[in-house]
Amino acid sequence: MEDFRRNLRVFLAFFTPSFGWLALFFLAPLVIIFLYSVGETVSLTEVKTTWTFANYARLTEPEIVTLFIRSLWLAGISTVICLLVGYPVALVIATAPPKWKPWLLLIVILPFWTNLLIRTYALLNILGTRGRVNDLFEWIWVQADGALRFVGLGEYQLLGEEYEPIVFLGRWSGVIIGLVYVHLPFTVLPIYAALERLERSYLEASLDLGAGQWRTFRSILLPMTMVGVITAAIITFIPMLGSYLTPALLGRGQVDMIANVIERQFKGANDWPFGAAMSLFLLYVTFIILALQAIAAMRRSRLRGREHG
Amino acid sequence: MTQTPIISIRNVTKRFGSFTALEDISIDIRPGEIFALLGPSGCGKSTLLRIIAGFETPTEGDILIDGKDMTEVPPNKRPVNMVFQSYAVFPHMSVADNVAYGLKMDKLPAAEIKTKVAEALKQVHLSEFSHRMPDQLSGGQRQRVALARALVKRPRVLLLDEPLSALDAKLRDAMRLELVKLQQTVGVSFIMVTHDQSEALAMADRIAVLDQGRLRQLADPVTLYRKPADAFVADFIGRVNLFEVTAHEPGSTTATVASLGEIALAAAAAYPEGEALVLAVRPEHIRLTAGEGPGVPATLGDVAFQGDSSIVEVTLADGRSVQVLEDAAESARLMQLDPGAIVTLEIDWTKAAILRRSAL
Ligand SMILES: Nc1ncnc2c1ncn2[C@@H]1O[C@H](COP(=O)(O)OP(=O)(O)OP(=O)(O)O)[C@@H](O)[C@H]1O
Ligand SMILES: [Mg+2]
Repeated sequence: MEDFRRNLRVFLAFFTPSFGWLALFFLAPLVIIFLYSVGETVSLTEVKTTWTFANYARLTEPEIVTLFIRSLWLAGISTVICLLVGYPVALVIATAPPKWKPWLLLIVILPFWTNLLIRTYALLNILGTRGRVNDLFEWIWVQADGALRFVGLGEYQLLGEEYEPIVFLGRWSGVIIGLVYVHLPFTVLPIYAALERLERSYLEASLDLGAGQWRTFRSILLPMTMVGVITAAIITFIPMLGSYLTPALLGRGQVDMIANVIERQFKGANDWPFGAAMSLFLLYVTFIILALQAIAAMRRSRLRGREHG
Repeated sequence: MTQTPIISIRNVTKRFGSFTALEDISIDIRPGEIFALLGPSGCGKSTLLRIIAGFETPTEGDILIDGKDMTEVPPNKRPVNMVFQSYAVFPHMSVADNVAYGLKMDKLPAAEIKTKVAEALKQVHLSEFSHRMPDQLSGGQRQRVALARALVKRPRVLLLDEPLSALDAKLRDAMRLELVKLQQTVGVSFIMVTHDQSEALAMADRIAVLDQGRLRQLADPVTLYRKPADAFVADFIGRVNLFEVTAHEPGSTTATVASLGEIALAAAAAYPEGEALVLAVRPEHIRLTAGEGPGVPATLGDVAFQGDSSIVEVTLADGRSVQVLEDAAESARLMQLDPGAIVTLEIDWTKAAILRRSAL
């Protein structure tokens, strides 16, 4: 008994600060936001908790539904692109000679250590109509046009009169490129970890049994690293869905995502309760995704248990 | 025998950077035999097996299977199959799917795959387990899945990398017999890697002893035991007492040996002068009698009881310890004596041999 009490005291001494911190800076704001979401604006700076459901009801307005669908769609497409790009990258790193691995991983992680704002402005510079990508395309256009002229087809202007810059900013394409660029490390690292854990002898066994490289990838490598791929998809998708800066700067107010509209509620529109309802809805969506994954994992293991019996 | 070899390993050398894992190995594998690659850890056994399977390319030399050069042939096109040390049974496929995997690669019709899988599982006594997932199997069962998966492809040669090392002692003994029986029914050649000499002696038709990437001796188990090429092989295959030979005339049957003095042998060894030689005496070729008598005097040490026999350790006058094998009755008598009691060794000189310290 004495022992337990002493342990309890030690326990409290250690954990009170961290619990206190969490309660003060995580739980309390969440509760406040929740109270806002069931309240009404009574003056410029005051929200009264009236336990109304009206703010949540407004989430079904067509405009807001469109916004949510657009956000899910943008984050979904970007996640798929991240997986398509990230898997080969992770595979290259996992199969690289051991002394290269830390450096290759560093290249993937390095952008993390640079301020997001600076990186996004750099993307503006690259993707603009007078940006580096268009510079490159224009150069290619000029060369191609020159070549056509050289073979005597110049007067037909097959490639148009002059180079038409591709517009990325303020379009879906620009936002997707930005989302993919910012979140790619979230995709690569879990897949890399799964690949590292995989024993090489499984792949060798597949080759030994007569499967080619592609078949081995499809039947052995991909299924055996699927847990890593699902983890990567979730931890890429969730922060993407809540992205603020990328759509704000690269979308130029024309490709808003949820966070941009939430911000507007708290600022320009001065509709805190509605902003709070949207924020919490985003949180619920996140929880639902995580819960679905947990259920899927549970069902997988239960299925095995049943087969066993 | 003049059968054409099913696999020819010709002058294979393998280097990893500046490290030589295999040096100038030449071995012919005969059809239908169990061939063991035996040697201490790190001697290059797995590397040689992986070269045959195609996972490593030899730095020099080449591999012929059925007389065809395999240099340009990738692993998935070679007519050999491997049972991996870790088994590598695919965890996301059922037992039946694991066994069917290789047949699907051969694009066989589904019905044929089904009958072949059922037959293979029956052979390894896993018929009731075909729908289980690998994580619901014991180590021995998983090993048999790996075996069935490789054998169902009817390879020209089955490669086994330490197939029994992950099993406990009892299961290992049972599986030894089962593997030999299985090999006899399917008639496929086995090349098995092992570092366990008793496993090699019990199962193999022929054994190659490797050490530090070099072939020490290639012979059948009896020859290997009776006529080891050098002291390393004698020491690695079974137990042996080694004494340095300090003076020996080539062709003469007498020699001067450390601890034992001048001895007379049944057969002369004709090694050239200047080579380091040792006298090898197996523990079963020494008899112990209590008390003093004609022979080599010694004092009794530990008696390691093994059931039907015992390994008795004795100490010679100069402090060297010698192992002696005694049967159950004799060892019971010896255990009555106090440790340190005076005993006499009678060595059967007709069975003792003078060997090179190293044949390399
Ligand atoms: N890919 C590699 N790169 C560098 N060295 C290697 C490589 N593969 C094996 N070696 C070295 O070659 C030597 C032989 O290895 P191998 O795996 O063939 O040994 P082994 O006889 O199978 O040993 P064990 O009984 O421990 O499995 C070892 O010293 C090992 O360190
Ligand atoms: Mg090995």
